[in-house]
Amino acid sequence: MRVVCAMSGGVDSSATASLLLDAGHEVIGMTMRLYDASGDEQKGRGGTCCSPAEVDLARRVCAQIGIPHYVVDERERFQRDVIDPFARDYAAGLTPNPCTRCNQHIKFQPLLQRAAAIGAEAMATGHYARNLFGQSLLRGVDPRKDQSYFLFSMGRDALQQVWFPLGTWNKDDVRKYAEAKGLPNWGAPDSQELCFVPGGNHGDVVQRRAREMGLSGAALEPGEVVDTDGNVVGDHDGIHRVTVGQRRGFRTRTPERRYVLKVVPQTRQVVVGDVSDTQTARLEVGELQRLELGESGEMRCTVQVRHKSNPASATVRWAGKTALVDFDEPIRSASPGQAAVFYGDDDLVLGGGWISKVEDRANGSLESQASHKD
Amino acid sequence: MRYPPALVINLDHNATTPLHPSVRDALVEVLQRPDLGNPSSTHGLGRSCREVVEAARRALAGALDANPLGVTFTSGGTEADNLALLGGSAALKNAGKPHGVATSRIEHPAIVSAAAALAARGTPVVWLPVAADGSISPDSVANVVKEHPEIGLVSVAGANHELGNIHPIAAIVAAVRKTRDGVLFHTDAVQAFGKIPVRFAEWGVDMLSVSAHKIYGPTGIGALIHHTHLKLDPRSFGGSQERGRRVGTENWMGAHGFGVAASLVDEGVAQIEALSVHRDALAAVVTSAGGRIHGVPMLANTLNFAFENAPGELMCMNLDLEGIAASTGSACSAGSLEPSKVLLGLGSPPERAAEAVRVSMGRFTTAADVAAFAGMLPTLVERVRKAHLRASS
Repeated sequence: MRVVCAMSGGVDSSATASLLLDAGHEVIGMTMRLYDASGDEQKGRGGTCCSPAEVDLARRVCAQIGIPHYVVDERERFQRDVIDPFARDYAAGLTPNPCTRCNQHIKFQPLLQRAAAIGAEAMATGHYARNLFGQSLLRGVDPRKDQSYFLFSMGRDALQQVWFPLGTWNKDDVRKYAEAKGLPNWGAPDSQELCFVPGGNHGDVVQRRAREMGLSGAALEPGEVVDTDGNVVGDHDGIHRVTVGQRRGFRTRTPERRYVLKVVPQTRQVVVGDVSDTQTARLEVGELQRLELGESGEMRCTVQVRHKSNPASATVRWAGKTALVDFDEPIRSASPGQAAVFYGDDDLVLGGGWISKVEDRANGSLESQASHKD
Repeated sequence: MRYPPALVINLDHNATTPLHPSVRDALVEVLQRPDLGNPSSTHGLGRSCREVVEAARRALAGALDANPLGVTFTSGGTEADNLALLGGSAALKNAGKPHGVATSRIEHPAIVSAAAALAARGTPVVWLPVAADGSISPDSVANVVKEHPEIGLVSVAGANHELGNIHPIAAIVAAVRKTRDGVLFHTDAVQAFGKIPVRFAEWGVDMLSVSAHKIYGPTGIGALIHHTHLKLDPRSFGGSQERGRRVGTENWMGAHGFGVAASLVDEGVAQIEALSVHRDALAAVVTSAGGRIHGVPMLANTLNFAFENAPGELMCMNLDLEGIAASTGSACSAGSLEPSKVLLGLGSPPERAAEAVRVSMGRFTTAADVAAFAGMLPTLVERVRKAHLRASS
C-alpha cells in the first residue's frame, strides 16, 4: 500500500518510515518546511522539529532506507495558524499551546491532502498515540511519551486516514530498533523546546512578532506584579514573559514563592499568589472536539490540562462547542489558552478543547482572563 | 518498491543534462594523465595542464563565435551571471559612467537576485517590461534605456529557462545601441547554448554566460564570454588567473569536459531542434486535456504548462513516483517546490503560478519517453485535481 510518512527528521518518524517499509508498504517521506531559521546552524542549534538541520536528516534517512522524500513548504500556513496566534495569545495574557495548534492546522490536513493527491491510501506519523480502527484516539502505551494530549484536535476525519505505528511502542525500543537499522538519529536527544523559539526564550519571539503584526505594544511593556488583594509586590518585563502557574518572568520584593495566578492585559498587571492560590476546581472549555461524545451530556472522566500533568477526576458537562469541568479535587496550573483533554477508561480520548475560563482563585467565580480570539 | 526506480525518464534537462558519453570518456582520459600540474606553474607539468585549459578555451570560443581571450571560466552559470552584473556595474561605476542595471523579473534567479543585491546597495535597477506571454520586445528595452539615463548595463536571457521563449537578442542589442552608445549588454545564454545557435559576435553583446552542465558537460564549470578588453571589477581576490577577472586555481578538469561538450554542440543543436515534433505533440495533449500552455514554446525541448487546480508540486511528485523527472521551474536549493517566480513575474496570481509544470527534453529523449509521459498525464491530473478540490472545499 502506498503510505506517506510525515518525517520531522527525528528518530520517531524515521523509525516509523522504516517500520512501514519492513511491513512491505510503498513508503513516501514528506517533511514540512515550517519557518525560516537562518543562522541556526551557526548558533549550533537546530535540534528541533523541522529545522533545516532536521530536514537534512529526514532526507538522509530516506536516502538510506531507499524511499522518495519531498520537502513541502508550509511556512505561510505555520506563520498564520501557529506563530501569529501564539504571539496574539501571549499579548492577550493567555498561555497558548502551539504544538496542539500545529497538530490541528499543520501536521495533518496539508499532508493528508498531498497524500491523497499522490495516490497514497494512508499517512503515518511518529506520534506516540494509538488509533483504533480509524475511529478512536488512545494514549500511547509508553506513559512517558504519550502524545495524545497534543492530538485531540486533529479531528475525526484525519483519524480515519492516519496511522500511529509507534502507539504500541516504548521509546527505548524505538531507539533500539533505530540503532539496529543504522538510522543516523537513533541516539538524538528528544526535542523539548518549541521549534520556532530559539533557546526556549519565547518572550523575544512574541515581542518581535507582535510588533510586526501591529498589536498594541503597550500590553508588552513592563508592569506591576500584585497580590490577590491588589497590593503591588513586584514588577515584570512584560505579560508575554510570564506563564500562569509558573514562578518565572517577574520579580517580587518578598522571599516567599509566588506563582502567577492570572494576567490582566488591560492594566498589564500580573496577579501572583502562593501555591494554594493556583488551584482550580472548575474551568470552562471552548472549541470542543467531541471525538467520542454526543451533542451534549454529562459524564465522569479524567481531565488533563498540561502535557505532562496527571489527569484528574472530574465531572464534565458539555453542549455543542463548550464544556464545563468540575474537578473532584482542585488542580494546579490550569491556564486559559491551554488544552483540556478528557480521557475515559482504557486510555481513550473522549474529547477536548481549549480552556477559555478558569475559576477565579480569589472569589470562586468563573472568569475569563482574556478573550480568546481564534 | 525500492527508490529510485532503476529506469527514470528524464524530462528535466533544463535543470541539468546527463554527461555525454564522449565527454565522460574524455574526462576519464585526462584524469589518467600523469603530466598535469597547476596550470599557472611555469614548469612542464604546469605548461601541459595550461594547454588543457587553453584548448578548452579555444573549443568554447569556437562554439560561440567568440575570441578565446574573451573567455573567462567560472564555477558555473550563476557565477558568470553574477560576475557580469556585479562586476560589470562596478567597473562602470569606477569609470564614472552610468552603472544602473536593467533586466526583467523572468530572468534566472542568478540575474534577478544579483540585481536585487545591487539595488539593496543603492545601484539603480529598472525592471524591463515583459508581455504576458513572456516576450520582450526590442523597442520596449530601447525605451527603458532612453528613459533611464542612469542605466549602464542591460541583461536579457537568450532563452527563458522555464518558458522556453527565445528572446531576439541581436535585435534587442541593435535597438539599444541605436538609442544610446556605451551601454553594456549581457545575455544569460545558459539555456540557449546547446539548443539554438549562440553567436557572441553576431548577437553583438558585450557579455554572455554559459554553463557546461546544460550542454552535456560536467557541473562546476561555466564561463563568461566578453570582449577581450572588457573591464570587470573582480568579485574575488587572490592570484591573477583568468586575467584577474576570476582568480583562483583553474578548474582544468571541468574546463576540459566543457571544451569537449562545446565541440559537440552543433550536432546537439540539430538533435534538439528535431524534438519540436514531440513538444508540439505534448502541447496538443495538454490543450486537449483542458490544460494551458505558458509562454511561447520556442525552444524545441521545453514546454511549460498547467492544469487548473492541479498544483505543479503534486504533479511533479506523482510523476517522480512513476519514474518521470519533471519540474515546477528552477530547482530550489532546499529541494522544496515553490510557485514559479517566472510566472509570478508575468503577473500570475500565486495559486496559478504554483500550477506550472515544466518538461524539458534532451538529446537522448525518445518518442517512447514522451509517449509514456503523455499517456499518464490525464490520469495524474485527475487524481491531483480531485484531492486538491476536496481539500479546498
